[in-house]
Amino acid sequence: MRIVLADDHVAFREGLKLLINSQDDMEVVGEAGNGLEALAAVSEVSPDIVVIDIGMPELNGVEATRRIKATRAEVKVVCLTIHSESRMIAAMRQAGASGYLIKDCSSSHLIKAIRSVGDGKEHFYQPENASHGRGVKEDHGGSAFELLSNREREVLQLIAEGHSTKEIADQLGLSAKTVSTHRAHIMEKLGLERIADLTKYAIREGLSPL
Amino acid sequence: MPIRVLIADDHQIVRSALRAVLETADDIRVIAEVGTGDAAVKGTRKLMPDVVVMDIEMPNVNGIDATRQISSGPYDSRVLCVSIHSDRRCVVAALLAGASGYLVKECSADELLRATRVVSQKMIYLSPTITGQLVKDYVHRMPEDESCTARLSDRERQILQMIAEGYSTKEIAEDLYLSKKTVCTHREHIMRKLDVSSVSEMTRYAVRERITPLSVGTRTQRSKRAV
Repeated sequence: MRIVLADDHVAFREGLKLLINSQDDMEVVGEAGNGLEALAAVSEVSPDIVVIDIGMPELNGVEATRRIKATRAEVKVVCLTIHSESRMIAAMRQAGASGYLIKDCSSSHLIKAIRSVGDGKEHFYQPENASHGRGVKEDHGGSAFELLSNREREVLQLIAEGHSTKEIADQLGLSAKTVSTHRAHIMEKLGLERIADLTKYAIREGLSPL
Repeated sequence: MPIRVLIADDHQIVRSALRAVLETADDIRVIAEVGTGDAAVKGTRKLMPDVVVMDIEMPNVNGIDATRQISSGPYDSRVLCVSIHSDRRCVVAALLAGASGYLVKECSADELLRATRVVSQKMIYLSPTITGQLVKDYVHRMPEDESCTARLSDRERQILQMIAEGYSTKEIAEDLYLSKKTVCTHREHIMRKLDVSSVSEMTRYAVRERITPLSVGTRTQRSKRAV
């Protein structure tokens, strides 16, 4: 199985590569430090599986997964993250991931999950408080994955990472006017007017790493 | 004699991955893995590692407190802290607690190996991004100016907090009985000192430095006061 690893924690990623490469039936054929690099790696090496973190700069794992599945539906995505909130799991599932593991799993558990997903099955972490359905810090009445469209979340991450309207437009291949419109919609939907509040919201929702 | 390392991180697969990296080196041997700060202290006491690779964010005695207990105890073990945070407050806290090194999680495998070796030789290792920040802090300190003990002045911190809480220049000026021009000047100084150019970057800095909480909508009725 040919695997791409996407995580901004480089030493961890390199160690994970060693662990995976020690398996006879697996090989890491590409690496990425953010969502954009993950997309590039996928189109360059056409892996079977991508193991992806959520919290990455420029483009987070959820949005990257969505885009990977849109262009290369046959590539399977397994999420490996520190986040255990139900809404993150739901967002990843909706984005098309076939697996979701928390980083407190063992390496053998990850290997097993990769094989399982490679065989066409799903492997999702089950949080204990699944019945509650929402993260603990819910004080704004809805998660980013429910309230905003895919494109709006992409724009929000870039706003929260200090990019200008022009830079966002260039990066997403949109006109500046379209970006401004998205921005206005985001502010309206979230009831937030200030960049500072948008930045904090994006960080809290896991759209952008701190 | 290989360098004996104890790894402390609450995420199992992170421990395994770091172990795999460290074990590629002939001169390094991982003698134990633990998942809490408490276990790190106990493990150090029992096994006397040369280096403890310590994740700062751990439950049940966090990494900073565990670092403090280890470095103030009768152990020869050196602590190399690893963290997702690179803000000054965390770094200084770790160093004050007795850490011999600080790595950001974006560091490469090579850097982890290098840092482990440096720290085992009783020297200090800091990720270059951190070193840059601390040097800037140090170089900009003007001994004659007593108010310059922190990077930002009190007024600047106050204004930064308000910016990070969504206040406009006009609102800040009114609240603090300053002219808009003065507020703008302070804002420019803040941006220059922090080397940032946007409100979102200022907000991130303020959140990391705990100048403002991460919860949204913290604009409360502020009593008008001067600093």
